Amino acid sequence: MGDVLYLILRRLRAPLITLIVVYAISVVGLTLAPGIDPQGQPWRMGFFHAFYVMSYTATTIGFGEIPYAFTDAQRLWVTFSIYLSVIGWAYALGSVFALSQDPTFRAAASRGLFVRRVARLRQPYCVICGYGRSGRAIALALDALDVRIVIVEQDAQRAAPIEIEEFRAPPLVLVADARRPEVLREAGIAKPECRAVLALTGDDEANQSIAIGTRVLDPATMVIARVADPVVHDNLADFGGVHLINPFETFAANIGLDLVAPEVLQLEEWLTGVPGSLRPETLKLPQGHWVLAGYGRFGRAMAQMLRSAGQSWQAVDPNIAPEDEGAEGVAIGKSAEQGLRECDIGRAVALVAGTDSDSVNLATVTMARRLNPGIRIIVRQNKAYNRALIEAAGATVAFVQSDLMTHEVLQALTTPLLNRFLGQARRDGAGLARRALARLDEVFGKRVPWVWRFDCDPAQPGMRHALSQADGPLLLRELLVDPRDPQVPMLAVPLLLWRAPTAAASAHAARGGAPLTDVFASATSAGADEVVLPDPDTPLWAGDRILFAGGEGVEALQRRFLLDPSPIELVRTGYEPPRSWLFRRFSSPTARSAAARPRP
Amino acid sequence: MNLEKVIFGFFTILACTLNFGFFVGDIDRPELHHPTELFATIVVNLIALVLKFGDRTHIGATHLATSLAACLQLGAAGLFWVWELHVRGIALDAGSTSTIVSLSGGALVANLISVTLLIGETLRQSR
Repeated sequence: MGDVLYLILRRLRAPLITLIVVYAISVVGLTLAPGIDPQGQPWRMGFFHAFYVMSYTATTIGFGEIPYAFTDAQRLWVTFSIYLSVIGWAYALGSVFALSQDPTFRAAASRGLFVRRVARLRQPYCVICGYGRSGRAIALALDALDVRIVIVEQDAQRAAPIEIEEFRAPPLVLVADARRPEVLREAGIAKPECRAVLALTGDDEANQSIAIGTRVLDPATMVIARVADPVVHDNLADFGGVHLINPFETFAANIGLDLVAPEVLQLEEWLTGVPGSLRPETLKLPQGHWVLAGYGRFGRAMAQMLRSAGQSWQAVDPNIAPEDEGAEGVAIGKSAEQGLRECDIGRAVALVAGTDSDSVNLATVTMARRLNPGIRIIVRQNKAYNRALIEAAGATVAFVQSDLMTHEVLQALTTPLLNRFLGQARRDGAGLARRALARLDEVFGKRVPWVWRFDCDPAQPGMRHALSQADGPLLLRELLVDPRDPQVPMLAVPLLLWRAPTAAASAHAARGGAPLTDVFASATSAGADEVVLPDPDTPLWAGDRILFAGGEGVEALQRRFLLDPSPIELVRTGYEPPRSWLFRRFSSPTARSAAARPRP
Repeated sequence: MNLEKVIFGFFTILACTLNFGFFVGDIDRPELHHPTELFATIVVNLIALVLKFGDRTHIGATHLATSLAACLQLGAAGLFWVWELHVRGIALDAGSTSTIVSLSGGALVANLISVTLLIGETLRQSR
């Protein structure tokens, strides 16, 4: 606001002074011009009447000659004043219109509006820096989840279509360079309502600046950055606190999992699918010789994955990066068909068409099919509008960067615990995944479960009572009982128990430093404060977070434990305690102990 | 020499001197306070006000504030004059003249502050 006001005042100084001077000259002249009153006496107009006459004359309203008919001397002066004042007004109004069209003024005005709107936001929002394909896809996905969006995009051309995009709540857009700290601040990254900052520009260096700037300005805000460059990746990993997503490596790692540990990938797909839908099938990619058409960032990530998965591969790329020239397994500068033949397409089991041109990828796929009809295809889709073409190619898997980014970002934002669990599963390899799959299979069959988090938050009235440990510790199994009927177990599997390090330490100290129970034996091996697939008999402490996978509606039932102490009492004792003070006085201790059953 | 500074200083000081010219003289004698001088004071004060627009420094903001105060006082004096002369239709007497002149006296104080700021700024520059 300040900027705009000052700009207006500064730019309009000259026209305003011109107007003042024009009026002053005209008014003074009119008071000096000799006039005659109806009695024929000489008369001079006062300042008040002169100003009145000039006001309606200068604005071309023209009420006539008051208070008495003018003399010729007065008419002469008024004629002069009319031309003078019309020029003055034309100049002043011209300046106002020129100012309203001025790019600097418009930028300042829209920026002022943006800052005010961000300051007024009272609901959770995410700041997206960079409105490319991924930025757009993520903005639409978050909008569907009722998260407000603040977009910072440097390029006005790219930001323009946001206005006509179908958002439920229109995003707040600022055309500015998000690398600059004051821009980040204006975008509201330090406000408590800001859930996360997503650095999704096409430039890794810019993403690095945004991530570091955000971390420095407000360490509490979550930062997710897309980074493909290994140097930048290492920098940010060292800096800490930034959730890094490398789309190429993520995709390659998923393919690698399918080759090496399909159970882990299956578990991931199962838990991150659309709840209630049929569980996705595994890809079952074949082992053997792979051909990579295109050896850029994507091709290199795939090659590295194949190397560590123990598969043989050959790459071909007509315009290869200089540092890769002569690298093992990379052919250069061949026509497409010759290149594919050279890569042993005949005995290959799979082709990765991974250049950054959709038409080249489609041509390669067609060529490869002709040379080897049974080959499995992995194709990269670059432009959103080419989706139909890529689907028609009938590939086994399509790599769509914006889809992958959306998936990863949503997962990181909505269920960060799930990410930790899946990270554990990846590190642990097939063993943990197989156990988890078996558990999920026996509870849910072929459906994708709902995944949610339960917080043992002592600030909630229900939990405060249960965690006070008056009747012994709260056990995990008690959260798995239907609060409407204690005989019925709920359809839910606890996947991960997360315990704040300080909580674990203080609880441990409170127990007199005795060795942790055997339940946490697995915790020590898997990391100090995370238990994968926790035992139902695990005692819960204040601050614990549990990741559950379960049927529809279980989350809502479980939330009843938070709001009110009586459901948890009912579950624990099988007896619903009286809620009011009066009834608590009347319920005798004997009746209570009779109703209370020994807990299993 | 900076022309902008000259113009700025000229109008600031002229606003003050004209104001003083109108103010000086027995407060209750209408013949000692000429309406043209009040008009000139108002016009020059308005110009000084507009000249002070758009300066974001602290001293610039104070300059603007003194001019706003002066214009408010002078505008009130002018309106009161119009009211007495044309609306109530009576010639100025001792009471209404002293009201007008005392209002312009308030504006004079604001203008003096403005001139003091100008001098202070100049001294600080030369040091």
